[in-house]
Amino acid sequence: MKLNRRRFLAATAATLTMPATIDFASAEEKVIRFAMPQDFTRVYTFVTAEYSQGQRDYITLVNERGGINGYRIIADVSDHGNDLPRAIEAYEKAKREGAVLIDPLSTPVARALVPRALEDKINMVTAFSGRSDAADGTAFPYVLPLSPNYWTQAGLLVDYFRQQDKDLKGKKIVFVHIDTPFGREPLPILQVLSQKLGFEFQAFPYTPPGNDQSAIWPQVRRARPDWVMFWGAGVGQTVAMSEAVRNGLPMDRVCSSVWLSESDMDVIGREQVKGVLKVEPCVSGKDPKPVQAIINEVVSKGKGAGPENKVGTSYYNYGVMMGAIMIEGVKKAFERNPGGPITGLWLNEGLRSITNFTAEGMIPPMTVTKEDHQGGGGGRIARWDGTKFVPATDWFAANQDVVWAEIRKSSEEFRKSGK
Amino acid sequence: MLYRRAGLRHTRYEDERQLWPLQFDRGLVVLVLVVLVAAPLLVNRLYLVSYLLPWVIWSTAALGLNLLMGGAGQIHLGYGAVMAMGAYGSVHLVRAGVPFEFAMVGGGLISACVGIVFGGAALRVQGLYLAMATLAMQYVVDFVISHVPMISGGTQATIQVPTVRFLGIPVAGDLPTYYVALIICAIVTVFILNVGRTSLGRALAAVREKDYAAEIIGVNTFKFKLLAFWISSFIGGVAGSVLAVCYLRAISPDQFHIELSIQLVAMVIVGGLGSVLGSFFGAALILFAPIVLNNLIGGIADGLGLSISTDLRSHVPLMLYGALIIGFLLWEPLGLAKIYNNVRNYFFVWPFRHAQR
Amino acid sequence: MDSSLIIELAINGALIGLMYALVALGIVLIYKTSGLANLAQGAIAMTGAYVTWAIAYGVGAPIWLAIPLALVLMFGVGMLIERLALRRMIGQPVIMAIMLTLGIEIMLRGLLPGMFGSAVKRLDIGIPQAPLFVGDFLINRATLIGGSVSLLVILLSLVFFNSRYGVVMRAVSDDQTASWSVGIRVERAIAIAWGLAAVTAASAGILWGANQGVDWSLSLLLIKALAIAILGGLDSIVGVLIAGLIVGVVESVATGLIDPLVGGGTRDIAASVIILLTLLVKPHGLFGREHIERV
Repeated sequence: MKLNRRRFLAATAATLTMPATIDFASAEEKVIRFAMPQDFTRVYTFVTAEYSQGQRDYITLVNERGGINGYRIIADVSDHGNDLPRAIEAYEKAKREGAVLIDPLSTPVARALVPRALEDKINMVTAFSGRSDAADGTAFPYVLPLSPNYWTQAGLLVDYFRQQDKDLKGKKIVFVHIDTPFGREPLPILQVLSQKLGFEFQAFPYTPPGNDQSAIWPQVRRARPDWVMFWGAGVGQTVAMSEAVRNGLPMDRVCSSVWLSESDMDVIGREQVKGVLKVEPCVSGKDPKPVQAIINEVVSKGKGAGPENKVGTSYYNYGVMMGAIMIEGVKKAFERNPGGPITGLWLNEGLRSITNFTAEGMIPPMTVTKEDHQGGGGGRIARWDGTKFVPATDWFAANQDVVWAEIRKSSEEFRKSGK
Repeated sequence: MLYRRAGLRHTRYEDERQLWPLQFDRGLVVLVLVVLVAAPLLVNRLYLVSYLLPWVIWSTAALGLNLLMGGAGQIHLGYGAVMAMGAYGSVHLVRAGVPFEFAMVGGGLISACVGIVFGGAALRVQGLYLAMATLAMQYVVDFVISHVPMISGGTQATIQVPTVRFLGIPVAGDLPTYYVALIICAIVTVFILNVGRTSLGRALAAVREKDYAAEIIGVNTFKFKLLAFWISSFIGGVAGSVLAVCYLRAISPDQFHIELSIQLVAMVIVGGLGSVLGSFFGAALILFAPIVLNNLIGGIADGLGLSISTDLRSHVPLMLYGALIIGFLLWEPLGLAKIYNNVRNYFFVWPFRHAQR
Repeated sequence: MDSSLIIELAINGALIGLMYALVALGIVLIYKTSGLANLAQGAIAMTGAYVTWAIAYGVGAPIWLAIPLALVLMFGVGMLIERLALRRMIGQPVIMAIMLTLGIEIMLRGLLPGMFGSAVKRLDIGIPQAPLFVGDFLINRATLIGGSVSLLVILLSLVFFNSRYGVVMRAVSDDQTASWSVGIRVERAIAIAWGLAAVTAASAGILWGANQGVDWSLSLLLIKALAIAILGGLDSIVGVLIAGLIVGVVESVATGLIDPLVGGGTRDIAASVIILLTLLVKPHGLFGREHIERV
């Protein structure tokens, strides 16, 4: 069949005018909708696939066990490609379908959706991303990080250095970061801490996406730092680590934010980067009880949302962690208002009354309150031993006073001027 | 039968120069206007906010770019930066207390003046080189905006847009934002429709066809190219400010990236260079294709019970979107406006098809 | 500012610049013969890396077999793109053809990660990571090998353009109609040019993929490659070499010197500033030929 102009145009017209959506459930069923438009194709590709898999597997687990109080949880997953019109369309669609929670997993999208979420009273969960000052629940009632934000992570790392070195006075800490708002976020905290604890601090930004850092690391090497922090995402992380290895920097003095996973290690070579450290918000690997439950009840029955070899990787576990926290919020919401109705406000009350939640031992005890949407900022440092991440410390929270001072500064500005 | 052309005898020059001499065309225009104005009553709120509103705003931007690309024949791969400057300029002005009407114009002026600096630099070169220069402009403007905290808004790098008043009515909520965007779009459309009939439009056409030949017959190429850049950047800046206030409501530097510039160029080309209707069609196609394809693939996968991996599922719209652009360029290079013209020509003599030449 | 740092940055910068120049070589090849800028070059590099990964890891072939196989495949892919897509655009204005290459880029960016998975993939071509110290300077082993391979390929293409078939291709790039009239198979020359451009892009993709892992961001090599191509002159291969060195050195040294003053990110705009300055001062690049248009 010859593909000529007329047939092409007819085919295009037919495809684009076909009925667009098929609803998953009718309105009368007992469902709670979580909308999860995330970036599968553009910038966050390194994390979204595994994170979403973990989230969906956990929700499938909960549904397989009968849901919560007979209500099924539906996760509407779609791709917004980090493109704002698509993200806003996905948000509006979610709103129309009655979603009570949205997880965009993208900082620019989260920032753009903040005014809408606050107005429409839909809970926006911004895991490890979004606005760091949203931890202040009084200024952002409907934006919930529910995870240690970047300021907390930086604080945890500096405190770890202090624990290792006993006293940071006179030491040199180097911060290699991607030159975007995400990379620049920890800078104020690090500057305050450097004054408080007496260490010398130097920052080296690199151009996004970070596939060419060959000019940065020789400078790092010459600065002879005591500790190196690298703060990037995806390809920036792998290149940073290989450059660090090539420049002969000792791996056990090099550490990163939460965005480091086994697949990154694979790219460089698992043995090469033995000793590198990262911030861990939850237990990694297949040992935690929720992951074991998922393996037994979901994956082995073939209901997993993705390839089996990704179960238990870092980002997968982040997804499980966030899923568990969201479900805990639903449970608490039912405890407070058993009759419903299922709205954003209802879930908001539940999420803000999570107390000492550990997800069966997977995360440090987390308490969310009306003022603190971060959940306490607990985490731990883990070390790569060549095959997996092993914890190097216990769960701890550190420098929260500095972090909260910064949070309050930003959220005050938001409250006053709408910034 | 529909397009009655018999009995049209003009006795005055003004009648001959009408934009739409045929009754049917005029009727169509009125119909479209009525539908657009009454849209909030006719369509679901979801469609209004996530489809109509961005379509109107992006069409305004595409019209501005079309003036430059279709009217004057210059390539501009940095239109996203132009919109960014308009957005940031007007938002800062609004936050400083300037009324929205003036802030919008102010944003447009900022875009125009900076745009003309880069446009002037690029006027020594043509075609591909001009495209590269405007591409460089995109990156430089991006860099400046995200590295100057005063412009980009500090560590959070997001600036919320405060509620503004347009002609006395607060621009908040669905209806006022939609109508503001519609009014601006209407003004720009009327301007572009009439530009082609003025001496400016004719000069631009001469420059577009062969600029050294135009120079020879006395058209000051340099001046008109600069003018085209200025006007087009002004429109882009105004579109950017409307985008910021009515649609985004919180702007950050990574929203106006190279992807946006490429999207706009695609809208103009797929829509049809130089055609007003084409800008609207192109904007609709490029804006909605990823969304529609996304929903479609999701619907098919769930409806047929196929479990495609999410990776593949989310990349298929991107693939189809690229294929769509390729397809249009291969099979209808004159764009959607040409398709409309073909349809219109068919209906000119319908049902007497044998009369078609 | 210490001079040994600058020298080290310059050396590493030159090598990285050569690796970018490999992508630019493809752009120049296509511009010489077809007269349009191929904005899909970065995506083709990404495709080359993915194909190599698929052959090496998916099928399990050893890497020394996978690379030549992938290059042959990419030659075919380049010819295919030219045959199916570009040939229909011959009479059209150049902006349409450029837009078409953009469409191809978008499609490839969707197709390859969709088929093979979007997580970053490892591509190991056997370069050890251990640092290589020459005196006080650290030479990055991977970029050293990458830079040398690019240099080799660029020199090879210079030799090729002086060979018999190279002269044929130069004739085609000069004037297609005249070439037809003396009996040169113009379509074949253009197809071969596209195939060669795809091969150079693929080798660049493999080198960069080994450096940073294979994922969609390989398609971002395009911008730097365009800067180099414009600086050197869109139709000059020698220009690509010299411009690659210049751009690499300028970027690296700028990062070292200017970043501390400005607060970062000058590498970003180094390429853009180079493009703008070139277009202001010498629009056709250092070694490019002026186009003379006649009415």
